[in-house]
Amino acid sequence: MTAPAAPITDRAGTELDADEVKAMILGGAKRRGATIAGVADPALLDGQPEGMRPVDLLPQTKTMIVLGGAAPRAGEWSSPRSEVLETLGTADRIGVTASAVARQIEDDLGYYALSVPTATDQDDKPFMSFVDAAVAAGVGSPSLAGPALNPDQGFVYLAVILTSLPLPFDEPLPTPACPAPSCVDMYADRGVTPCTDVCNIDAGGCLGGEIVDGLVIGRKFDAERCRDRVYHYWVPGYQKALEAALDEPDARRRKMILYGSYFTRTMWSITYSNVSQGQCFECVKACPVGSDGRQLK
Amino acid sequence: MGEAANGTEAAQLDERQQRTDQIKALCVTAGAKVSGVAAASAFNEYVPEGHRPTDFLPGCRSVVVMGAQGPSNAAWQSPNRRLMEITGYDFRENVASMVVADHIETEHGHLAMPGPALPTSGQHPPMSMMLSAVLAGLGTRSIAANIILNPQHGLLYYAVVLTTLELVPDHQLEDNVCPARSCVRLYEQEGRTPCMAACPADEGGCIDATIEDGEITSSFFDRERCSTRAMNFGIRGHIKQVELLTNIEDRDERRAMIHSDDFRRNVAAVGRYKESVAQCFECMRVCPVGRYERKLK
Repeated sequence: MTAPAAPITDRAGTELDADEVKAMILGGAKRRGATIAGVADPALLDGQPEGMRPVDLLPQTKTMIVLGGAAPRAGEWSSPRSEVLETLGTADRIGVTASAVARQIEDDLGYYALSVPTATDQDDKPFMSFVDAAVAAGVGSPSLAGPALNPDQGFVYLAVILTSLPLPFDEPLPTPACPAPSCVDMYADRGVTPCTDVCNIDAGGCLGGEIVDGLVIGRKFDAERCRDRVYHYWVPGYQKALEAALDEPDARRRKMILYGSYFTRTMWSITYSNVSQGQCFECVKACPVGSDGRQLK
Repeated sequence: MGEAANGTEAAQLDERQQRTDQIKALCVTAGAKVSGVAAASAFNEYVPEGHRPTDFLPGCRSVVVMGAQGPSNAAWQSPNRRLMEITGYDFRENVASMVVADHIETEHGHLAMPGPALPTSGQHPPMSMMLSAVLAGLGTRSIAANIILNPQHGLLYYAVVLTTLELVPDHQLEDNVCPARSCVRLYEQEGRTPCMAACPADEGGCIDATIEDGEITSSFFDRERCSTRAMNFGIRGHIKQVELLTNIEDRDERRAMIHSDDFRRNVAAVGRYKESVAQCFECMRVCPVGRYERKLK
């Protein structure tokens, strides 16, 4: 853990212990629903494209706070009905937690704090890379499947708070969570891991890559294909269904499209979730990282 | 006898004041920045029948008003203006109003309900949150889009709770918050206040006013123009695009519009409605009222 240069003061100007403030903020985030929390040096993201660096969003940024949580519950993962995860898999809860923490920092301590939107910016690009922020904060590492994986919890939804509050930084994880030892063994045996097996890019899926000396090399990811599958309801599904309805010359068939189950579900999906509602979790469902915690009675 | 009656009356008043203070404090605990109380009967002088508190809750005696901050202080600092499109509003005052209504019903045994604030006919809400804020002494109307400015915080978003519980009402502010002294000086020098300079009605903007002896003597606000700019993504933008789509004969042209970034952002904004209802904050960005509060470390 590295110490920041500047002292921390409250609104009255009283100097506070940086470690205590950090523990208070991260502890508060956990009480509000985050299951993992870490603090990163924003300079670690200086190499990001212009516009996506922390200082591009908040010039006063001294610290990045990364929160994770709101992952599907063990019961949801174990449900045989795919509709369960289709309607419950959303980043909303962790976004609300991050907003509350940002407000707390501004109201109680008097430092700027910005909860980075989990929604996308122009051209559907993220405001910043939450995966890279999670790696910098030591709460996760990149994975073959795509999401940042926490060594204990596996897949979690992420939120990032940029703040002028100078907190001591955490370090990136010394050992990446992916590939897991069992995945390395499986790759040596069959040439695939659980995630590349369930959604193989050479067989119409989205994922591929090699494991050399226990490390992921040359990861392949078909982002467009994955997006089509993860979000087949929600905004992209709505666009597609609306286009089909407007292209349909027959009035009765057009009515069937508009009043049909698919169109209705796309609308539900948009209004259920303000940010993101995924409908495909197959790569993460097969991932062994964090799966121990999903084994309940 | 008279003294005893006076003593009872004083005790009742004292109890009512304590109850009022407790409920106002709860508003802040539940997420509001400020809170106040207006007498339900105070609305009769200003609004026609059908828009008064008793029209929504027969027997309503008090209107508890709470104002919450919209964008965080950090969001105002961001050079990426699109960020405010998404983080412009988090409806915390509505959450607070639910908490307060629940509290009054469960703890005091009186009817209580959040006041209806969303438009149900055109752009008009059934009940005015702006008037409620003024009557509860939380702010006064401004030149900038008629927004109610709180003397300490400037722009706030308001929600109300209507209740049959009798509370001690606050007084309206004695002095108008707008124009601020610095705005009067600027007007005297240049004929414009900061908000008028940012969005002048005579140059395609929305705001105009005259000031004499430090008081607003006339004001003009082009609400239709403002709403198309402040809410260019979201429900209205989407409705406009659907109208355009139904008039496009060419299939490829239609497809191009449906899959454009503009269309996606409109639909996403419908989904994000609970966070984002405005995309233009320029008159408020230059307003000096509340600016001191927004300046953090």
